[in-house]
Amino acid sequence: MAEARRAPTRLPPFLILLLVAATTLYPLSFVVANAFRAKAEYLKAPYGWPANWSLNNFVLLIDNYDVIGAATNSVLVIGCALAISLTASTLAAYAIVKLDLPGRRLFGGTFVSVMLVPSQVLIIPVYLLLSSLRLVDTLPGVVLVYAATNIPFGVFFMTAVMRSVPNDIIEAARIDGAGPMRILVSVVVPVLRTSILTLAILAFLAMWNELIFGLILLPSEANNLLTAKMASIGGRFVTNQPLLMAGLLLTSLPPILVLTFLSKYLVSGIAAGMGK
Amino acid sequence: MSSSLADGDDLAGAAPSRGAPLSRGRRAERRFALLAVAPAALLVFGLMLVPIFGALGISFFKTDGVTADFVGLANYVGLLTDPLVGAVLLVNLQFLIAVPLVLVTATLTAVLLYEKVLGWRTFRIVFFIPSVLSTAVIGLMFKSTFAFDGPVNKLVVAAGGMPVSFFSAPTLAIAVIILALVWSGFGYGALIILAGLSAIDREVYEAADLDGAGWWQKLFFITLPQIRRVLLFVSVINVIYTFTSLFGFVYVMTAGGPGYSTTTLDYLIYQKAFSSADMGSGSALAILVFILIGILTVLQALVSREREPNNG
Repeated sequence: MAEARRAPTRLPPFLILLLVAATTLYPLSFVVANAFRAKAEYLKAPYGWPANWSLNNFVLLIDNYDVIGAATNSVLVIGCALAISLTASTLAAYAIVKLDLPGRRLFGGTFVSVMLVPSQVLIIPVYLLLSSLRLVDTLPGVVLVYAATNIPFGVFFMTAVMRSVPNDIIEAARIDGAGPMRILVSVVVPVLRTSILTLAILAFLAMWNELIFGLILLPSEANNLLTAKMASIGGRFVTNQPLLMAGLLLTSLPPILVLTFLSKYLVSGIAAGMGK
Repeated sequence: MSSSLADGDDLAGAAPSRGAPLSRGRRAERRFALLAVAPAALLVFGLMLVPIFGALGISFFKTDGVTADFVGLANYVGLLTDPLVGAVLLVNLQFLIAVPLVLVTATLTAVLLYEKVLGWRTFRIVFFIPSVLSTAVIGLMFKSTFAFDGPVNKLVVAAGGMPVSFFSAPTLAIAVIILALVWSGFGYGALIILAGLSAIDREVYEAADLDGAGWWQKLFFITLPQIRRVLLFVSVINVIYTFTSLFGFVYVMTAGGPGYSTTTLDYLIYQKAFSSADMGSGSALAILVFILIGILTVLQALVSREREPNNG
């Protein structure tokens, strides 16, 4: 009955949402269309799908701007930083929530209090610190910075979900003679694998889209990460928009793929990530 | 939410009183716990805590990274009396126009999604796409779209107008960046507001239906008042974004120009430190922005603490 009364209001919401979706998707389809369009055609008619789909823009981009190298750097840096920050966050949250950690309030409080420090506060001293360690313009330097800056939220997130692990199963494993490391690996982590995947996605997006550390800590072309590379060469491309569109498409493809296939895990992480 | 982090629920409930000799097993567990927290603690200490205090220290020096002279509070005095800093702060404040725009768009979208119309799950994901893209990518997209020979101007010319040079007029440049901000931010806001809407008790609506309330009446007299704290939360985080997340947009779209008319506080820190090699003044500015964000964050914490009894 209530359904029947609400029926008349259901078409307008759908149409408005469709309009908003079009507003969101149109700029993206514009990028896709022109990434595959020849420059001459773009100058005449930038709208609609290209008359001839061409991979030429991608070839030019890869040949002249070492986009493959930048993408490789991004994958290496983010892969290592993700592994470090996820492992460190999970271990720390386990110690804080489930073990007899001396000073757990101090540890917990410290991680939370640095969670919202903006990167522009850190950038000058981190640059000076890394340069004194000769780590500026090296991939390991950025790996350390990305891992460290993602740990506070990681610990916060893992601490919250660690509480949901029932103490009974941990106690049962302990009575069976398992040590704390073994309990973590074979009891706690399997229970939390969905949450760890959610955290991995959030951290991946943060690192892939990071700009200011990438620009300043990896200045030489051979060490550029993909997002920073696209940002810095974007200005030179004003005469060749289709080439830029090809670059934007490559740079935004990983986050969009992650959202498309793993949205279930991402959406569930948003509520937990509200403080971020 | 955050205050509960420090309260562990210690498994070994019957912890021995302080000073009593610890059993061998408990000593081993404590040692393991310290080892387990060490990697995270060391990384955060070395690359976040030390740098924060480092920034404070550097802010009392005049330094280009090689030589350093202690100047006391001169950097702060210099910043607070610098008309450029005042002008840049005003630029930041102009971007606050984006906050109500994001709020209205996000609320509208969330309320409509809440009607659970056909395909609402897909819509929800589509609206979230801009939130997973980097500000650099979004900035470049908008820069191309509004370029002098770009598609927007092609439409303007086709409609019989003169092409507009969007990025050489301060007001228009700021308007384009605000548009990019709203486009990129409303989906995230909508998701949070949708979560808030889902927490409203269904019975309230059923009672209103019995009283014959219409759609708009329910929106203004039930829905919006019920989620006012969530709306406040979304507003505050968006205010924080306008002080911390504009760097990517400004870097790729305008480089702060024309003149300093689109230079924001975060971009000015970058410029001072890495273009003019004035790291002391850059750090002092970073500390001032940090204090400003700290105040906003405390405000946000107060807001979300007040929200708890409502949810619980």
